[in-house]
Amino acid sequence: MSATSHAHHDEAGQAPLVGSLGVDSRKLGLWAFIGSETLFFTALITTHLIFYARTKAQLMADGMLAHMDPKHFLGINLTSVLAAILLASSLTMVLALAASKSKEWAKFRFWLLATIILGSSFVLGQAYEFTHLYAEGLKLAPQYVFEGETVKSLFGVTFFTMTGFHGLHVTIGVIWLLAVYFKVQRFAASPENPMDVELVGLYWHFVDLVWVAIFTLIYLI
Amino acid sequence: MAIAEQKLTSVSPATASSGSFPWRTWLATVDHKKIGIIYIVSAFVFFLLGGIEAMLMRVQLGAPNNTFLSADVYNQLFTMHATTMIFLMVMPMNVGIGNYVVPLMIGARDMAFPRLNAMSIWLFLGGGLLLYMSFLTGGAPNGGWFAYAPLTQVQYSPTSGMDYWILGLGLTGVASIAGALNFIVTVLNMRAPGMTLNRMPLFVWMNLVVSFIIIFAFPTFTVGSIELLFDRQFGGAFFNPAQGGDAMLWQHLFWFFGHPEVYILILPVMGMISEILPVFSRKPIFGYSFVAFSGVGIGFLGFIVWAHHMFGVGMGPMANAFFSAASMVIAIPTGVKIFNWIATMWAGDVRLTTAMLYANGFISMFIIGGISGITLASPPIDLQQTDSYYVVAHLHYVLFGGSILGLFAGAYYWFPKMTGRMLNERIGKIQFWVMMVSFNVTFFPMHIVGTEGMPRRIYTYEAGMGWDIWNFIETVGTFFLAFSVLIFVYNVLSSLRTGEIASNDPWDAATLEWAIPSPPPSYNFLHIPIVSSRRPLWDAKYPHAAGDGHHGAANAPASVRYEYTDEETPGAKEIHMPSITFSPMILSGGLTVAALGFVYINKDILGLPTRVAALGFVLIGIAMVAYAIWGWIVDSRKDSPYLGQHH
Amino acid sequence: MRKEARKSAMPLLVLVLSCAAMLAGCANLPATTLYPYGDHATRILDLMTPVFWMAVGVFVVVQAALVYTVMRFRSRQVNAPVPTQVHGNTNIEIMWTIAPAIILLVISVLTFRTQAANSYQPPEAMKIRAISHQWWFEFQYDDGSIVTASDLYIPVGQSVQIQLEAADVMHNFWIPKLAGKTYMIPGKTNYLAFKANEAGIFRAFCAEFCGESHGNMRFRVIALDAAEFAKWKTNYATNPPTPSGTLQVIGLTGDAARGAAIFANAKKQCISCHIINGTEAKGKIGPNLTHYGSRQTIAAGVLPYSTENLAKWLHDPASVKPGNLMGRVIKKGMLSDQEIADLVAYLDGMKLAVNLPAEK
Repeated sequence: MSATSHAHHDEAGQAPLVGSLGVDSRKLGLWAFIGSETLFFTALITTHLIFYARTKAQLMADGMLAHMDPKHFLGINLTSVLAAILLASSLTMVLALAASKSKEWAKFRFWLLATIILGSSFVLGQAYEFTHLYAEGLKLAPQYVFEGETVKSLFGVTFFTMTGFHGLHVTIGVIWLLAVYFKVQRFAASPENPMDVELVGLYWHFVDLVWVAIFTLIYLI
Repeated sequence: MAIAEQKLTSVSPATASSGSFPWRTWLATVDHKKIGIIYIVSAFVFFLLGGIEAMLMRVQLGAPNNTFLSADVYNQLFTMHATTMIFLMVMPMNVGIGNYVVPLMIGARDMAFPRLNAMSIWLFLGGGLLLYMSFLTGGAPNGGWFAYAPLTQVQYSPTSGMDYWILGLGLTGVASIAGALNFIVTVLNMRAPGMTLNRMPLFVWMNLVVSFIIIFAFPTFTVGSIELLFDRQFGGAFFNPAQGGDAMLWQHLFWFFGHPEVYILILPVMGMISEILPVFSRKPIFGYSFVAFSGVGIGFLGFIVWAHHMFGVGMGPMANAFFSAASMVIAIPTGVKIFNWIATMWAGDVRLTTAMLYANGFISMFIIGGISGITLASPPIDLQQTDSYYVVAHLHYVLFGGSILGLFAGAYYWFPKMTGRMLNERIGKIQFWVMMVSFNVTFFPMHIVGTEGMPRRIYTYEAGMGWDIWNFIETVGTFFLAFSVLIFVYNVLSSLRTGEIASNDPWDAATLEWAIPSPPPSYNFLHIPIVSSRRPLWDAKYPHAAGDGHHGAANAPASVRYEYTDEETPGAKEIHMPSITFSPMILSGGLTVAALGFVYINKDILGLPTRVAALGFVLIGIAMVAYAIWGWIVDSRKDSPYLGQHH
Repeated sequence: MRKEARKSAMPLLVLVLSCAAMLAGCANLPATTLYPYGDHATRILDLMTPVFWMAVGVFVVVQAALVYTVMRFRSRQVNAPVPTQVHGNTNIEIMWTIAPAIILLVISVLTFRTQAANSYQPPEAMKIRAISHQWWFEFQYDDGSIVTASDLYIPVGQSVQIQLEAADVMHNFWIPKLAGKTYMIPGKTNYLAFKANEAGIFRAFCAEFCGESHGNMRFRVIALDAAEFAKWKTNYATNPPTPSGTLQVIGLTGDAARGAAIFANAKKQCISCHIINGTEAKGKIGPNLTHYGSRQTIAAGVLPYSTENLAKWLHDPASVKPGNLMGRVIKKGMLSDQEIADLVAYLDGMKLAVNLPAEK
């Protein structure tokens, strides 16, 4: 039962007696959940940055930093495309929401499908990137192999944990998008549709923002 | 016009015997009241289990060089005792009472997300089941409830115990976060008209603060546990120094969660006390805003004191000084609450019911626990006191003398509302005194043996250290403490059968839950009240009580009245409550099955067959989750507020 | 009325009992923090004492206020009138926010001063390395030229700086009568500096849960006057003499020379883990057993040193110290009673000439 409270007016018809923030309950709950997830990803990203700093210090002490910096694994050729894809998918999401609000269902289906395709492309691209990194010598293991040399470092462990969980969140998002797509298609007249779309959109934007943070902090800087 | 209560002479239909046990109604319930009761009963069972674990430990420690328990069994017991009491007892008990009472206090019909509420209870039980299963499958977790690295790495903790710990608590953690989201939205969005945040009962305030603490503190623990699981099963080395990991990282991640966790354990109880004291003093809480904001302050400050658990690890004097100062500061809002509670009773008409005795016992014991906390907040002193029995004394004074005594206060206070019967007051008072004395006999000497150099988490100790007599006394105290719990069980069981029947408002209380029958009908309020003050029921009963005139301004007349309603009352059937559904239980079951799979997914216990079976469990679990989500979506359409419209 | 009298007697009774209890805890017990013999621990007690009395003061005042309030305003009539509904008083709130803040400020200032003094690492301190293992302590002096275990010898009146390390899991280094504790963390090095003010033998423990036999992980600190300490060092660095003589233990006659041969026998596995200076034994996994006859305890604090206890240990290490490594190798009964008697004669024969002070 999603609760939208009804504002009572007092007898003199004055301003409504408040008992509610006036925000849709599910939206409020999702915002709080996003707040929680922000800390989840902060902890994962921070862990990665801490261990990367250690690896760098250790390599610098051995005079090997320039050559063996694990950042060499993180080419931005594919990943910047993935970032662009995810950003584009946020745009298509916004357009889908607008269409759902103005009840333009054909347009809505188009933009939501676009979002789903872009999102799925991200997941597939990320999966490919993982296999590529594995082949190159970066694995979920306490060392990596770069051009034949092994370096004892947790870079791979923290990297795959962090990006793996992000990928998991994107995958869940794609499934959610599909669910909303089919639901709206089946029950086009339901008054709940715009809110359903807005909710998945909110989650989707969050997942996109996390990638922006990861891409910036881990790949670019 | 003052309202007057009718005294009931017969049991309300809700409590009338209904023949066979209505399994479906309970297992598929989404009613916050039933869910609250399931939480409370389950938490109490875990309380008994945790208590048995403690008693076994105390028998072992009752004499030096004792051989009652082996070292390994003792280590499992102390790990499970703490894990049980913290995660499976106090937290769910708080949530259970909150679940039952908060919607009633704010004049709502249920929580914001009733199905999510059901998912939380079953997921919590799944996690508890997983944790206790470990006793039967190769050994319970034995690395301490704090699971310091690298002891918890697989080479030092080879049994599956720590994997059960990680996954069991992972499940209860998700349950807690979901529950917290539910509370946040319920409190922010579902208050009765006229109930501004400034007019909310303090119990509701504390639940709101605690819910925010939960959603911001738990993720760090989740991340730490996931990383530990990766270390143990998937080739990670986050916390393994031998492979480049960092043992300190675990401590920071854990305590960043672990310290706010203790405020999660105490703040709801402080909220209960803030409700009980005014009722039995017949005065409002003294300094409502100060008490509310000190709770908020404790919530914030609780996030910046975590490393006072780590004064001895060598962070350096600057870091130590910062965390020490912050820990001292957090004592101030705590003191403010205590003084306001005492001032509430000052010049009041104090009725020493059992609930009130427990409330005062709470304050008294919490003062002691708070004071020992201050000495621990000073790093130099802490270096002699930490990891000794002094800390064990401190934590039991705040957790037992604080949380548990407060929970007993809440039990005696709200039992009539939940069951329609009064608990026996004479037995209650005997129980209180037996518990108070035996509690102090058990835990006070721990300050002494800790000061005398007895380390903690040791399964045995040498004779001749001066510790023997105190340990023996503590062990004797433990048995009397257990006896006091049994008295409570007796009181509950006999009162359920033949206790005095409770009217709507047996305590002459102030908040909305006492306006409706004991126990309330499924829809709670036939008419959602309109609120214009902090104590709506009280002001409706005593509109002319003399005071300092700070009653809430009444721009509109409040509409609080006693309701004598049930499921058959005219108008009741038109109130649409969410339907029962098994989807939340199936979803929780699926997650539990999958979690069990993850315990063994990379373990070579019986070679490949174990790992294949584990993978099978994971896949079955995921399938159950998918099926449950499908059912959930169907349910949500069934209960949609747009039902009947072209849908 | 009787009930009331009982109720007012109760808090008083509790108070009296608590005071009695606390006084009883004030004796000079073997590991108490209340009778320090080291500068680090003394400074802590000097901080703890005023803080304790402030705490007692706060306790008395607040508890008295609580008890007094409840008793004075007890409901005396069944249908008493509703008392005046007082909602609060901002001035009082300010007062009782500031008063505790002041007390806490005082405690903080005192705390920071003590902390600064206690964290100071004197550059002239004697450096000793302490390496913790599951479940024993290893000590190294002079860059590893002297390696001992379980008994930490230090000089009186001179600061020592312990370099704290851990070989496996986290441990904690606690000598209650000399200094506060500091963690020993694998992958990290901590330092603890303190000075013993008096000669004595002091109890010490591992104070961080470190696995199965954490409760059995203890050590002794032996503080010797400067001259005696120098003698100890010289004597320790001297290799033990050729083993000779016999010993009566567990009803048998143990022969030290035979014991040495058993020890050196690779098949018996002693030398794969242990070192005895000046012999073939070079194992680095277990404690250094040189001059073992002078140890204060067996198995790192589990049993007091005696030949009978040593025999007990050699017979079945796993039962004395559950989970320990030696117990996985030397199973119960692997060594015959005669072999044990010989080994005891050998180990006990390696005594160091040192005048031990009293246990403090």
